Amino acid sequence: MENPDILEKAGKKVVLLGNEAIVRGALEAGLGFSACYPGTPSSEVGLTFADIAKKVGFYFEWSTNEKVAFEACAGAAFCGVRALTAMKHFGLNVATDSVFPVAYVGVHGGLVINVADDPFGHSSGQSEEDTRRFARVGNIPMLEPSNTQECKDFTMIAFEMSERYEIPVFLRTTTMVSHSAGTVKLGPVRKPKIRGKFVKNFERYYCIRPILQKMHENILKKIDRIERDYARLNKAEGDPKSKKGILANGVSYQYAKELDLKNVRIGKLGLTYPISRKFIIDFIKNLNTLIVLEELEPVIEDFVRGVAKDVNPKLKIYGKDILPRVSEYSTELIRERIAPILKIKKPDFSEQERELKKLKLPTRKAVMCPGCPHRSTFYAVKKVLGENVVWAGDIGCYLLGIFKPFEMQDFILSMGASLGVTHGIRKVSDQKVVVFIGDSTFFHAGMPGLANMKYNDPKVLVVVMDNNITAMTGHQPHPGTGFSAVGEPKEPIKIEDIAKSFGIKNVRVVNAFNQKELQATVKELDSKPGVSVLVSRGMCRLLMKKMLKKQGRKFPLFQIEPGEKRNLGLLDKFACPAIMKRGNRYYINPDMCWGCSVCSQICPPGAIKPAAKGEEK
Amino acid sequence: MTFNVLLCGVGGEGVLFTSVIIARAANLEGYEVRGTQLHGLAQRGGQIPTHIRFGKGVFSPTIPRGEADLILALEPVEAARECYFADKKRTGFVIDTYPIIPVYTSLLKERYPSPEEIRKMIAPFAKKAVFVDASNICKEKFGDPIYGNVMAIGVAISSGLLPLKQSSVEKSLRYTAPKYWEQNLKAFRMDLKFRD
Ligand SMILES: Cc1ncc(C[n+]2csc(CCOP(=O)(O)OP(=O)(O)O)c2C)c(N)n1
Ligand code: SF4
Ligand code: SF4
Repeated sequence: MENPDILEKAGKKVVLLGNEAIVRGALEAGLGFSACYPGTPSSEVGLTFADIAKKVGFYFEWSTNEKVAFEACAGAAFCGVRALTAMKHFGLNVATDSVFPVAYVGVHGGLVINVADDPFGHSSGQSEEDTRRFARVGNIPMLEPSNTQECKDFTMIAFEMSERYEIPVFLRTTTMVSHSAGTVKLGPVRKPKIRGKFVKNFERYYCIRPILQKMHENILKKIDRIERDYARLNKAEGDPKSKKGILANGVSYQYAKELDLKNVRIGKLGLTYPISRKFIIDFIKNLNTLIVLEELEPVIEDFVRGVAKDVNPKLKIYGKDILPRVSEYSTELIRERIAPILKIKKPDFSEQERELKKLKLPTRKAVMCPGCPHRSTFYAVKKVLGENVVWAGDIGCYLLGIFKPFEMQDFILSMGASLGVTHGIRKVSDQKVVVFIGDSTFFHAGMPGLANMKYNDPKVLVVVMDNNITAMTGHQPHPGTGFSAVGEPKEPIKIEDIAKSFGIKNVRVVNAFNQKELQATVKELDSKPGVSVLVSRGMCRLLMKKMLKKQGRKFPLFQIEPGEKRNLGLLDKFACPAIMKRGNRYYINPDMCWGCSVCSQICPPGAIKPAAKGEEK
Repeated sequence: MTFNVLLCGVGGEGVLFTSVIIARAANLEGYEVRGTQLHGLAQRGGQIPTHIRFGKGVFSPTIPRGEADLILALEPVEAARECYFADKKRTGFVIDTYPIIPVYTSLLKERYPSPEEIRKMIAPFAKKAVFVDASNICKEKFGDPIYGNVMAIGVAISSGLLPLKQSSVEKSLRYTAPKYWEQNLKAFRMDLKFRD
């Protein structure tokens, strides 16, 4: 949903999402170029750029992965154009190989990398990760906004810092910052500079000995200067005479403020790499008790312990000894853990707790949408190959196939890993392995894995779940879709053509909504030697629903014939959320059916039919 | 003082839209606004609570335990799922009784509670609870249950459980979704006994 407030006039106060505020900050900084690969909680940065790029007049694209997106931004910044890329934490794992050398060579136009961590894993599996460690490995400065207003303001400061020190700058957020909403006071949007020029300079761009060591030295000097020059990003509040203090970053600072503590000094770090030694000394020197609030790793805590040894060795420091290193914090968790130290009162929840324990609620988990092409593909593959198969999973909506009734994702690691891991399994085991990989994931990290597999040629069936979009993160195009981020037509690259060009002999493309064809093709490919590829193609049903709505059109609606007496138990193995069960009888909820027809194909003929005209939705 | 609204429902019911309407209306009235809009897997039928807080001196984007002033639920079981944020002395509930039964209920052989059971579950957490068949009413009147969320905002205001002005919510609706403004306005006013 496009938020018209992003482009509101200077001086206005509007409510923005953290991600939208980052976009606004970039506009106020005169951004000229952005390239991203989606990943929640950062996806709305790119989605918002895509909405407004044409209107404002800067360049935006969805690139094939985060590394490519970052590199494109670096290229623009080399030419003096301000650029920003946004990614989730896993994206940084992919991009890092290029981020570190770009920091060495430096940039002309400001280059900002928004990396969004996801403690708790609201929208990520894979791993919990604290990207503040990356800043330290690469000697790259890192700013951390704690609310929506700061998302905007810090983005602008990041651009200024980046250009002044010719260094890329991290803007690190977490889910509770990227996806928090809040009042933001807007400043003026700057006309974007969108053209630049690459100037050759051997000394600058070649990271080899002995220039390499000079570059390394140079970046360390930059970090020292940034530590001095940007101390203003940190702040200390409360009575300077109080003996107790809290030091926090990001949203933890907001939780601490929410507690409205008396006689406690609160320090906030807006710049978490480099941490200002001077700020820390001033903050801790007169304290006797310090509590460090930071989600995930004890980055600030370790630093403070080091400083305290010299300047205040008696200081009692609490951190990860009282608060967890996993998941995220909350106001009540912090209150609970610091109450005994600061002698504050805790509200009594014992009665609420008792009542909560009594609640017995049905499980609700995310499921594939009604009419999802992935469900149809899973059903057909299992129907033909049975249970005795290792199902290699990957990242996308199809990971929901992990749950009942399919249970067809035996491992899910990182984008593209299905292929590489399967290869290893097949080289040491004779088990049958089937790979499921999405179209966007195929372009992101699937191609090297497939090339490697084909070259070393184990027998594997690779099913590409091609729903024509990057669905899970909110419908971003990729090189297979035929249109760009800003809606321009493009020539699509076909996944079957890529597979064939690798020399894979058995490549088939099948309509994902056609059970007969799907099942026949799975059977056929199962009998072939070597690597075979089945592209199961059918548009994401949610995307199609949105498109039809725009055109004022509707899905046909299916219904179970009223007098139907035959056993429809197969529907339990299909689990379309539109199909409900009352006792032993099934019925289709007309508000939820998205008319894919697959249920009618798997049931005895005539049991399920399109509803009469006029009952379409 | 801060007023805390917890909105919940199932992905696809318009929880995010509803939260934007309320947040924007509160902003129009000059309040400081904070909140969360977690996206994640929302559109795939998962549960999705969002928090909106407005007032002065609001810090945390999330509502602390037991501090919700209003729980606005677009699905009845989801109202019960958020009782962690509720308190008998403080929390009002507005609940759309339109049930969305998870596929897992039959897969895992669980039971979806009856409307009576849901009322009983909510009672120990509620200062006041208003149940309204909003989605069904909207389906009947406008041919689409999706307007149930906007009707529920109207119900919250008319029951005195959401201290926002009718005019600011209407402005917010118009600004946010100009295309659907007329339908939304009708849905919103369905239950309003106008006070301001
Ligand atoms: C390195 C990395 N970047 C981004 C993501 C976020 N992410 C999760 S699923 C997904 C989309 C996958 O799209 P596709 O393979 O086409 O599957 P679909 O969701 O369309 O079924 C993305 C980008 C991630 N997990 N890891
Ligand atoms: S968003 Fe699309 S791909 Fe994802 S579950 Fe729904 S229909 Fe399937
Ligand atoms: S046609 Fe059948 S399978 Fe497809 S959405 Fe409707 S009920 Fe579900």
